[in-house]
Amino acid sequence: MDIDTPEFMEYFLDFSVAVTGFSRFDLQGTGQVSLYFSTIRGIIGDQIFGELLQTFHDLDRKAKRENNQSVLTDGISFEILVSGKLGPIARNIIKLWYTAIWYQLPSPWQEKFGARQNDITFIVSPYAYPEGLLWPAIGVNPPGAKAPGYGTWSEPPSVKLS
Amino acid sequence: MTIKSVDCQTVSKTFYDAVIVGSGVAGAIVAKQLSEQGKNVLILEAGTSRDLTLAGFQSYVETFYGAIAKHANSPYPLNLNALSPTDGLNSYFEEKGPMPLSGSYTRVTGGTTMHWQGTTLRMLPDDFKLRSKYGQGLDWPIEYTDLMPYYRKAEYEIGVSGNTKEQKELDIPFLPGYVFPMKELPPSYLDEQIREKIDGTTFDLDKETIKLKLSSFPQGRNSVPNPDYALYHGDVFVPSGVTSENPLEYGERCQGNASCVPICPVQAKYDARRTLGTIAFPDRVHLLSQAVASRVEIDPENGRVTAIHYKHYKDKNSPQYTIGTAKGRLFVLAANAIENAKLMLASELLSTSGLIGNNMMDHPFILTWALMPQVIGTMRGPLVTSGIGTFRKGKFRKQQSAFGIAIENSGWGWSGTGATDVLRDAVNRNRYGKDLRQELIDRISRQLLLAFMCELPADYSNRVTIDPQYKDRLGNYRPVIHFNISDYCKKTMADARKVSREIFKRLKAEDYTHYKNSDPAYFEYEGEGYWYRGGNHFSGTHVMGTSKHNSVVNKNLRSWDYENLYLVGSGSMPSIGTANTTLTIAALSFLASEQMLKDLNT
Amino acid sequence: MKSDRLKLITTIEDLRYYLIQGMKIEHATIPPYLTALYSLKPGSNLEAFHMIRPIVVEEMLHLTLAANVFNAVGGNIEGVFTNPEFVPRYPTKLPTGEEEFLVNVGKFSKQAVKTFLNIERSKEVTQDEPLVGSRVKEEFLLSIFGYDPTKSFSSIRLFYAEVIRGLYALHKEMGDALFCGDPQKQISREYYYNGAGDIIKVTDFDSAIRALTLIQEQGEGSRTEAIYDAEKKLCHYYRFEQLELGQYYVVDKNEPLNSDKPHCPTGKTFTVDWDAVYPVKENAKLNDYPKGSELYTAAQDFQKAYSKFLEEIEDSFNGNPEKLVLAVGGMFRLRDLANSLIRNPIPGMDGVNGAPIYRLD
Repeated sequence: MDIDTPEFMEYFLDFSVAVTGFSRFDLQGTGQVSLYFSTIRGIIGDQIFGELLQTFHDLDRKAKRENNQSVLTDGISFEILVSGKLGPIARNIIKLWYTAIWYQLPSPWQEKFGARQNDITFIVSPYAYPEGLLWPAIGVNPPGAKAPGYGTWSEPPSVKLS
Repeated sequence: MTIKSVDCQTVSKTFYDAVIVGSGVAGAIVAKQLSEQGKNVLILEAGTSRDLTLAGFQSYVETFYGAIAKHANSPYPLNLNALSPTDGLNSYFEEKGPMPLSGSYTRVTGGTTMHWQGTTLRMLPDDFKLRSKYGQGLDWPIEYTDLMPYYRKAEYEIGVSGNTKEQKELDIPFLPGYVFPMKELPPSYLDEQIREKIDGTTFDLDKETIKLKLSSFPQGRNSVPNPDYALYHGDVFVPSGVTSENPLEYGERCQGNASCVPICPVQAKYDARRTLGTIAFPDRVHLLSQAVASRVEIDPENGRVTAIHYKHYKDKNSPQYTIGTAKGRLFVLAANAIENAKLMLASELLSTSGLIGNNMMDHPFILTWALMPQVIGTMRGPLVTSGIGTFRKGKFRKQQSAFGIAIENSGWGWSGTGATDVLRDAVNRNRYGKDLRQELIDRISRQLLLAFMCELPADYSNRVTIDPQYKDRLGNYRPVIHFNISDYCKKTMADARKVSREIFKRLKAEDYTHYKNSDPAYFEYEGEGYWYRGGNHFSGTHVMGTSKHNSVVNKNLRSWDYENLYLVGSGSMPSIGTANTTLTIAALSFLASEQMLKDLNT
Repeated sequence: MKSDRLKLITTIEDLRYYLIQGMKIEHATIPPYLTALYSLKPGSNLEAFHMIRPIVVEEMLHLTLAANVFNAVGGNIEGVFTNPEFVPRYPTKLPTGEEEFLVNVGKFSKQAVKTFLNIERSKEVTQDEPLVGSRVKEEFLLSIFGYDPTKSFSSIRLFYAEVIRGLYALHKEMGDALFCGDPQKQISREYYYNGAGDIIKVTDFDSAIRALTLIQEQGEGSRTEAIYDAEKKLCHYYRFEQLELGQYYVVDKNEPLNSDKPHCPTGKTFTVDWDAVYPVKENAKLNDYPKGSELYTAAQDFQKAYSKFLEEIEDSFNGNPEKLVLAVGGMFRLRDLANSLIRNPIPGMDGVNGAPIYRLD
């Protein structure tokens, strides 16, 4: 499978929007989209990455066609996240977006689908760290970057529980 | 303009007025004070010094960004030639127990002020008389009032923000009309939530009723200059900021980067490079970095120190080194309590009192954590803005140690469950999208952690020693540590836990505190289990005192056994009360510098 | 608004009008500097970052100093910053009346640095050439024309020279009655500091002159043939020139005369990476973004936040100095929004990213 096409980049963005809960603008606003795409691809290869994105895209299309959002949400839960093959990759992509860290895949996955050479736990790039979504998710700056300004810590928090 | 970086050749050809070991806050202040009176000094720094440039400092920030575990030394690259102990992550300390000392310091230019939190509490007058008033630990040969003028100098040098009125409520005397150079940092939203429920409530400790009251922490962090400081100083304080070889034109207020430890990316927090960078006659101060002092050389004829031997490495990634000597009239060890003691022991220096390396102190911390009923926006602002200081004093100190409480703005990270851990756990349970975001708010943005900093008085058997078995890559000794926590301190740790339960109850916070018995610092006291965390406030290893028989240095920090050797830093402190040590280290450095100048001028 | 041709200062109203223009000038530099700053990719071009950022902060200082003088002479600041015309329409000529160059809002580039140099440029003033005509002659002209059509100021320095001249003249005429403003409205040093230059409370003639001189000098130097200002700090013009030349200037604070000469820096060299920059849309307008897109909303949000920032600044200059610190904090939030904008490609514009917009049309 060749995923080096604009469509797969689009699928990646759509998938990322769905699993992170952040908008496309937010994700592109991190400036990390292509770095993350190439990092994931470089570690797990086109085949499984492509399969994940294609599976998501098919679910997304079906949900839109049937105008039924639960097709997508159920699909993400039961066809992707619980899948022994795609689940660990999907979870890793969420963690990557939130923390800029690629976590080494769990050993059952490695045993079944083959260990990958670059599959170690690492921060993808020092300047990806401040772009982690964990921090905006809880309404704070990443420690050590994007400071909010003097005295802002006295204000009520910007996030709330719904 | 910064001080002059020199090579070994220059050092070998120069006879200095003073040779200083260590470029942390103590060494930097001594260098500044001596050079401003016309003295030529050399600073030997074991670590690297690239952080004196903009790109060098930025590379620290980058290393921090790129580090998976963002611990206290994560911005400072691993240097096997001058290892920085990091909470047991490397095997620099040889811990012999029975309890771990743990903790960290940083061996780079600027020393541990590169990663310090910036808290600048003064010690209480009672802290100087721990033995005579409470029958514990050791007394100082000087009193609080003797140190007062030097505290003021230290507060100017560091640039302290704080509120003297609140400090006076703890019976800390100040010069009439004196205020800190800058106003206190605004309290966090969390502080205010706690203040509302806690202020004015009481807790009974050993039959003594203690009133709980929040107060701001004085800290070495830029805030708003206090116009009233002009009444004392003659002018309003002008904060300084970024230290750099090339001209940079600004100093910053704290911007709330929320990463005071291990690095303030905008340099709003004081570090000792700022002192080095504001030396008026930088040509008089030579800095030789990557030079690890290995031996103090003594002239057997007259018993004076004649030189410091050092091992200089060109590349921190290679064990190759050359040996050099630095000669001068006066010698100052300012390498921190553990390194100072280690160097003296390695040099087999005469010790009439036999106290070199003994009486080692630290501030063990008991942590307690809970979830607030409401979202309070955890992880915003400087790591600590307020605390409760009312347990710092009291008659109970005869039975149990005093403690200070810090309200941590940064959540549970210190207890072992950081925001990233919560995220991983939630994702591993297949949370995603909006649900994931809500769960993160629920589990992180309500986090509260209280840190109880406990006094641990000087105890002869807590000590740093050396052993030829334990050396580092350059063949220098690694510190061998013997450490224990006395019941005097354990009783307070147990009570601190009780105080936290009471506070959490009043806040209607859910208590999540749990001390795993597998933790190396786990202990039991009266049937209940606890663990503590090291406070990095190593001290007492060359205490000052009234005679050569009860102490290593005199009240001016001059060695009793070697008249041209000074031992500055917290190693000279006979007690540390419940004050973080840096401000007092700075004050003592000013005090000692005066005597050094007298010595040099006679 | 009157035309950007300015008549000379003969009344206190003229002086206040000039000071409003002064605040507009100081402010007009902020959007181009900020956008260029935001366009730098993180971790790249540290030198540029550390040169531009403090200059923005100092422009804020100049703005504050001009506001202090304005308040001191009894100006009413309400409506000054919140006037929609306070933010120029870019590209803009600077409201000095200067016509030789236009200021664009865009990415960090060689062209942008040239513009910045123009903004900060020093124009040599020879001793024997009067800055403006004699007072008598001016009054004569003004009585005939109302405005002097021949006057425009070819540098910010000359613009302030006229303000200073006007202040002298009016003070001679009115005495201390000139300083009829409410001293409570003065921003003092505790509310604004940044290492580079002090805020000066303006309550009388001397402090007014000091404030105006500081604005003049920080931009362009205290004297011809010097690269530093009265505080021995490198002037903005030469700081930007370092980027053009890829080399630091050396200012000898102890022996200022030993400092580098203009255009001949001798300090450390460095490389500017002109490519490590996001391709932001030049002089972006709201309708550059597809209606209803996230980009459109974000640009709108930025503009709203910027207006709010100006509102808060005005409020703090209008008797609430303690609010300035938090207002400046507003700039930090602007930065995060701007960063997201400049990393988002504009649909339909190949290789062009979004940019913050500072006014609505």
